[in-house]
Parts: sequence; structure tokens; C-alpha cells
Amino acid sequence: MTHQFSALIVILPLVVSFFVFLSNWWLKKTGYLLALTALFCCLLLSIGILDLVIASGVIHYRLGGWLPPWGIEYYVDTLNAIMLVLVSFLSFLTAVFARKSVEIEIPEKGALFWALYLLLMTGLLGIIVTGDLFNLFVLLEVASLSGYVLIAVGEKRSLFASFRYVVIGTMGASFYLLGVGYLYITTGSLNMVDLSLLLPKLYTSKVVLAGFIFILIGLGIKTALFPLHGWLPDAYTYAPTAVSAAVAPLMTKVMAYAILRIMFTVFKAEFPVTVIEVTDVMVWTGTLAMLVGGVMALSQSDFKRMLAYVIVAEIGYIIGGIGVANATALKGAVFHIINDAVMMACLFMVAGLIVYKTKGHRIDNFIGFFRVMPVTAVVFTVGALAVIGVPPTCGFFSKWYLLLGGIEDHQWFFVAALLICTLINVALFFRIFDKGIYLHAHGQNLDAGVAAIDTPGNDAPISMWLPALVLALVILLIGVFNQVIVETVIRHAVPAGI
Amino acid sequence: MTELLSISNRPTWAIICPAVVALLILLSKNRPNIREGWTLLGSTILCFLVLSMTPVVLSQGPIRFEWFTLFTDIGFAFKVDALGLIFATTSSCLWILVSIYSIGYMRALKEHAQTRFYFCFALALVGAIGIAFAANLVTLFVFYEILTLSTYPLVAHDETPEAMYGGHKYLAYLLTGGVFLLFGILMTYFLVGTTDFAPKGILKPALDSTSRLTLQIAFFCFMLGFMKAAWMPVHSWLPTAMVAPTPVSALLHAVAVVKAGVFGIIRTVFYLYGTDLMHELNLGITLACIASFTIIVANLYAIGQDNLKRLLAYSTINQLSFIILGAAILSPKAAIGAMIHIAYHGFMKITLFLCAGAIMVVTGIKQISHMAGIGRAMPITLTAFTISAFGMCSIPPVAGFISKWYFCLGTIQADKVAFLFVALTASILDLVYFFPIVRTAFFDRLTEEKTKETGRPLFLFMIIPLAITGIFSIIFCLFPNMFHIFDLAQRAIKNLFGGM
Repeated sequence: MTHQFSALIVILPLVVSFFVFLSNWWLKKTGYLLALTALFCCLLLSIGILDLVIASGVIHYRLGGWLPPWGIEYYVDTLNAIMLVLVSFLSFLTAVFARKSVEIEIPEKGALFWALYLLLMTGLLGIIVTGDLFNLFVLLEVASLSGYVLIAVGEKRSLFASFRYVVIGTMGASFYLLGVGYLYITTGSLNMVDLSLLLPKLYTSKVVLAGFIFILIGLGIKTALFPLHGWLPDAYTYAPTAVSAAVAPLMTKVMAYAILRIMFTVFKAEFPVTVIEVTDVMVWTGTLAMLVGGVMALSQSDFKRMLAYVIVAEIGYIIGGIGVANATALKGAVFHIINDAVMMACLFMVAGLIVYKTKGHRIDNFIGFFRVMPVTAVVFTVGALAVIGVPPTCGFFSKWYLLLGGIEDHQWFFVAALLICTLINVALFFRIFDKGIYLHAHGQNLDAGVAAIDTPGNDAPISMWLPALVLALVILLIGVFNQVIVETVIRHAVPAGI
Repeated sequence: MTELLSISNRPTWAIICPAVVALLILLSKNRPNIREGWTLLGSTILCFLVLSMTPVVLSQGPIRFEWFTLFTDIGFAFKVDALGLIFATTSSCLWILVSIYSIGYMRALKEHAQTRFYFCFALALVGAIGIAFAANLVTLFVFYEILTLSTYPLVAHDETPEAMYGGHKYLAYLLTGGVFLLFGILMTYFLVGTTDFAPKGILKPALDSTSRLTLQIAFFCFMLGFMKAAWMPVHSWLPTAMVAPTPVSALLHAVAVVKAGVFGIIRTVFYLYGTDLMHELNLGITLACIASFTIIVANLYAIGQDNLKRLLAYSTINQLSFIILGAAILSPKAAIGAMIHIAYHGFMKITLFLCAGAIMVVTGIKQISHMAGIGRAMPITLTAFTISAFGMCSIPPVAGFISKWYFCLGTIQADKVAFLFVALTASILDLVYFFPIVRTAFFDRLTEEKTKETGRPLFLFMIIPLAITGIFSIIFCLFPNMFHIFDLAQRAIKNLFGGM
């Protein structure tokens, strides 16, 4: 049974989503429960897989029993296993969180929403688990298409935002497909492990180079790597809060994972690092992404939009860390993929809680929320401190590895940008702390704030704040147990040959 | 039970104690008397915990323990040593008194958001005690940031535009400093693979693999990191932060926060670089010059101040650099002077701040020029003020004399007599701005009818603590070894220089 886990984790949500869709006509209420159960099973499966990988090494699963490189192979090592746990854990928590906000924001189409949500998770989990380049493309499209639709359900302007995302996202997917095509022409294989054996002889080939660059650009668009991030702020701002809480932390991180996979598994480290030296470009893009994302975030008056730009900056951390390409920095990058997903999920949930109370997500809506919503305040504090990188939250530790990696490689601009970005984040979040804590300091704008709408101590319903609180706790726990996590999991997740 | 309270567990309790107090304060926010009860209880327990560790450390050496591992070779670890105990003793003893004082102060002024105030105050103590007991730079950094963040709401407490400005400036300076500190820590870890504090320093081996310039740059990153020491020219957050309520200025901006900065610099000088390396890189003399500059210029600034709390802020800047100078001279006697001055200055300066606050609450006066004859209306307060002002000018029989005496001996011991003159000039300048206050208060005619300090029971909450600290300022001169401060300093020195 256990060896089927890696296939089940993709197939289960896919099949269940069909039934959830059907339940829209019949037994509307069961749809949500079905979806939640499926996601919970995914979580259990992913933990099972992680356990298996740690105990007995890499899992190779052949779909339909076809031998690679002809059949599709699912390939799970420590890096995917930890990503699987991350995605299924966050998607489960977000599903718990989202019930209330879906009821309010999309009352008619509840079951359809959950069907699409499951499809999105099928795509994301599939991208992580697959060991086949073309299969990755298919699942990327599954995730993206359901993502486009989910985003389009949101506020008035979400339709346009989603359309823009469709156009740019499809370009990204096309770039990726083109790149895979080039690799297929030269090698005749789509299997990642197989490719990694075939490619080293072709590292000087121009076709392989073009393929690699196309793939990188395609995934760069999907990751929202600066300057290819144009679609992201609108899409995540106007999406329903439930969607932005799920898509925003996961989508970009899973794509960053895909980049890591292509760069260090399909190609060996020497190709990007020494043969074409693309890693230097990545460090610079990452550095710029941090600074531009940070500065753009500073100029926003909308909380969700601000978070969207923070994501652009955080992607800069990760891509820059991958670009530095030594063991320490990669440890940091992988660790930051995890941490950033948790932090962002946490903060987007805070946005959701505020929207629940005030029907808005401008920063002015936050006025006085420390008094009205004590739990939300705790969650926000932990999340914000994690993004800033204050110990003992998890953000500090991944930043530590990234900085140390940068210092080891003498990437001083990268290090400086990371430190500056820390300060920008301080300014970003303390602006909101000020609004939340000091009621008397904002005379005229009081009306928009939570404090004007509700009485002190009257937080959102428990089904909403509990998942957020769990995430806040996870942020602290990852921080406290970071050495254990790094030593048992992340150290093995770092690609070999660095 | 005895197991739990055994000596190796006591440092843990000392750090947890204020954290628990903070939680209890939040829980009993609707019952002010119980809330303040928690603060008083917690501060007393903390004080006993810290004092009970002193004899053990003196007889058996440092107490070590580790909570968990942070990074390879870096634990979330604590080491209670003599130097740390000096800082912890000062902070915890004064917390009791300031808690009593703040009950009077906050209630007399009917301040808003008192729960937030006491909560952040207790949290700041977690930071201070953690800094005192931290065994390595990363642990210290964790608590250093806790201290910065928890004091921000205290500085901005009034929520007026001025207070918000003060708060923002405070954060901008100190968190920028924090970033430099982080960079310095990373450099240290990168160069020598550890960040544990060790007497005689850990960075010496790095000289083989890296240039002198790198180590000098790292030192300045540490200096900028410990910006809480308010050396010039990065001092200007401190006078602005005086918009905070007086108990905050008293405990945090005269003792816990700023001493955390100075403490960090002493740790850097003696426990990271070590005296040899400081000499070799010419950092000792550079640091001494920065400190001397600050001492003189801060005093010149102070002369021009009319707002009493701002004047005291500049006086604090001056005295802090005096401690830095004591460390920078790199001689055993001067180092003793610096270490005992952490405690002595704490007691004296807190008296001055408490007096300023009491004057403000009782009569509503903040400006020195309006204080004519106030000594007759508030004799106890102004007597305590005068005693401590004498201490600032290092006139016997007040504690400041002892520390300055050792400092001066140190300059001669190290053959750096130039700094002896800096110290003496500073004392004269201290006189120039403290004496007019005393004269105005006692000898000028009382211009208008002032409220009497004995008028209301709430005032007593304020007068008694400041009387106690005032008395202690004298006791420290007569018995320098009160709370084992002097023994602790000698013990700390013994490890640094290898015998006297």
C-alpha cells in the first residue's frame, strides 16, 4: 500500500473534485466536507511519503507499470516530500479557514469553488511529485487554469486581473513547453532522471542552452520573478480572500521548487553554475526583485497588494539564494520556500479576517484591530515579525542561511539587499502595527477601521482564526526546531554536487 | 521541587519569570490592582532569583545551560557570569522600585492603555535579563531585538504626533543598528565558526585567514549594532525617546536599554576581540577617542537644555560613553570602573529620572527655569536629586566617585593620561549643568504656590522609591560591595586580563 502513496496523493483530489462538482446539484452541503476530507487524506499521505523517504530513500513510482523513460515516472526525494507536506498542510488549513469567507463572498457557487480548489491542489501536488517534464507541464496547466478561474470569482476588477494572468501565464507555459521541446529534440527523453544522464554530453549544444533558458523564463513568469511579475499584484489583490490565502503562498513557491528541480536535477549543478553562468544573473535578478518588491510594497495603501509585492521580494530571496549556489545558500533557499509559504499564508489569512470584519483590505481598515481582534493581532504580530526576520520566528533562520551563503560567496550586493529589505519590511509592517495599536494617532481616518465597526474583543469566528493561529504557532515552532528540521530534512533536500 | 529550584535551573526561571508576568498582566487587564500585583510579585521573585545566583557564580564560576540548538555550533545558550550578573542585578533590583513608582505615576496622571504599558515593560525585562545571561552573540541578538521591539510601544505611549515621531525614530535607529549587528554576527560566525563569548576573545584566529580591515569593519558593525549605547553621532534617538512616560525613561533609557548597548560593547571588546586583538588592530584607541568625543560633546549639549528630562538624556549619553571609555582603555582598573559604573550609574540616574517624573506629576513642571524654589515644596525629592547629581559629578560620598576613581587609576595604569583629563573635564562640565538646577530649586524664591509632595497617597508611591534609590547611591560609596557588585567586577576582570 505504502508504495502507492505518491500516486494516490495526486489521484485522490482529482477524483474527489469530480464528486464535489456533482454535489453542486445534489446535497450541496456535502461538497465542502468531501473536499476537506480529501485534503486531510492528502496531508496524511504526504506525511506518510515524507516518513518513507526519510526511512528508505528516494521513491520511484512507475505509472501503469511502464518503465522509464517511456512511461511517466513519479520521483520523490526529500525535497519533494517536504514540499508535499507543505502544500497539503497549507491547503488543508486554508480550506478550514475559507469556509466562512466562501459562504460570504461566493454564496451561490460554493461547491463549484471547492471542486476547483481541489483541482488546483491536484495540479500543485502533481507538479511536485512528477519526474517527467511533460507531465509537469500538464499539471502546471491544471493548476494554472483552476487558478485563473478561482481568481476571476473575486471582486469586480478580478475579471480583468485574471485575464491578464491568463495571457501572461499562458506565455509562461508556452515558453516552458518550447524549452521542453528543445530538450526532447536533442535527447529524445522527457524523464528527469534519464535526462540528467543524457544531458552532460550536450552541455555545449546551443539547442540545449536555448531549451534551458526558455524553461527558466517560462517558470520565471510563473514564479513572478522580477521583472516578470506584472500579473501578480492585481491577481492576488482582487482574488477572493480564500483564494489568495491558498494560491498566493503556494503557487509561486511550487514554481520556485520547479526551477530548483530543473536546475539541479535535470541539469547538474555545473551547467547553470560553470558552463553558462546563469546563476550570476539570478543573483542579480533576485537582488533587484528584493529591492523593487520592497519599495513597491512601501507605496501601497492596500494590504493585500502590499503583501503581493512582499511576495515579489521574497521570491527575490529564494531565486537569489538559488543563484548564489553554495550549500548554505541553497539550504536557505529551500528553507525559505517553506517559511515564506507559511508566513504568507498566515498574513493572507489575517487579510481574510480583516475583510470578514470590515469588507475591505486597505491598511486603513486595520485601525484599532489590536483592540477588537486580539487573536488576529497575535497572528499578525507573529507573521509580520517572521517576514521582517526577527528571531525566534522562522523567517530569521532562513534569512540567516541566505546571508551566510552570500557572505561565503562574497556576494556583497545580495547580502546588502537582504539587509536593506529587512529594514523595508520593518517600515511596512510597523505602519500597520501603528494603525492597529494606536487608536488616538489617526484622528480622521477612524471610520474605515475595525475599531469603528465593532466592539473590543469581538474577533472573527473560531473556524477562521484557529487555522491562522495554528500557522502562527507553526512559524514559531519551525523557528525553535529549525536545527532539527535543517539537519533531518533540508540538508538532504539540497541538490547534490554543490 | 528542590530539583526545579536548583541552581542550574535558576537562570531559566529568571528569564521565564518576567515573561509569565507579562502574560498574567494581559489576563488580568480589567482588574488594575491584581495586574500591578503581578508586576510587584514578579519583580521581587526575579530580584531574589538573580541575587541568589551571585554567591554561586563567585565561588564556582559561571552557570551554563542550553535550551536548544539554533545552528551548527550555536545553541540558544546561556552563561551566567560575573559581568552578566552586574547588569542583571541592576535591572532586576530597580524593576521593583520602578514598578512601585509607576503605580503612583500612571494612576496620578490617569494614563490610558496601562495594561499595554505594564505588559511591554515586563517584556522589556525579559530582553534585559536575556541579554545579561546570553552565552553567545545569536542568543544576545534574539533578546536584543525583543528589547527593541517591546520598548517601542512604550516610547510611543502618548500617541501624540511628537510621541509617534519619537517612537519611529527610535525604531529606525535601533533596528538599523540591529541589522548591522546581524551582519557582524554573521561575519564572526563565518570567520571563526562560533559566536560564544569567551574571556580573552574568540576572533584572534581569524587574523590568519582574513585581513585586519575585515576585522576592523566587523568591529564597527558591532559598534553600530550596539547603537543602544547612544555614542555620538548615533545618539539622537535617546533625547527624542524622552517623550515616553517617566518610568520608561527611568528604567529603560537610563538602565536596561542603554546599558544593554554598553554591555554589548563590553562583551565585544573583551569577549569577542579580547585585549590583545584590540591593541593589535588599534581599535582600543579608536573606541576611546569616539567615547571621549561623546563625553565632552554630550555634556556641552546638556548645558544648553531647559527641559529636565532632555538634560538627563544628554547626561546619560555622557555617562554611557564614560563606561565605553573605561572598557576601551583596556586596563584592569579602568575595566573595573566601567563595570561597576553600570550598576552605580543605574542607581544614580534612575533617581534623577524618578525625581524629574515626581516633579512633573506633583507640580506639572518640566522646565528647569520654572523650578525656582521647588526644593521647599518637595524637600525629599530634591534632596534625592541633589545626592544623585553629586554622584554624576563624582563627588564623594556618592557612588559615582568610586567608579571614577577606579577609572582614573586605570588611565594611569595603562599610561593613557590624556583620558584622565577627559574624565576630569567631564566632571567639571557635569557640575556646570547640575549645580544651577540644585541652586534654583533650593535657593531661589518660591514664585507660585506648588502642591506639596506629601499631599496625596499616590505621591508616596513615587517618593518612596526615589528616596530608596537616593539612599542606595550613598550606600554604594560607603559599601561598594553592596549586592557583591565589586566582587563581581573583580571576578570578571580576573578572567579577562589573567590576574591583577
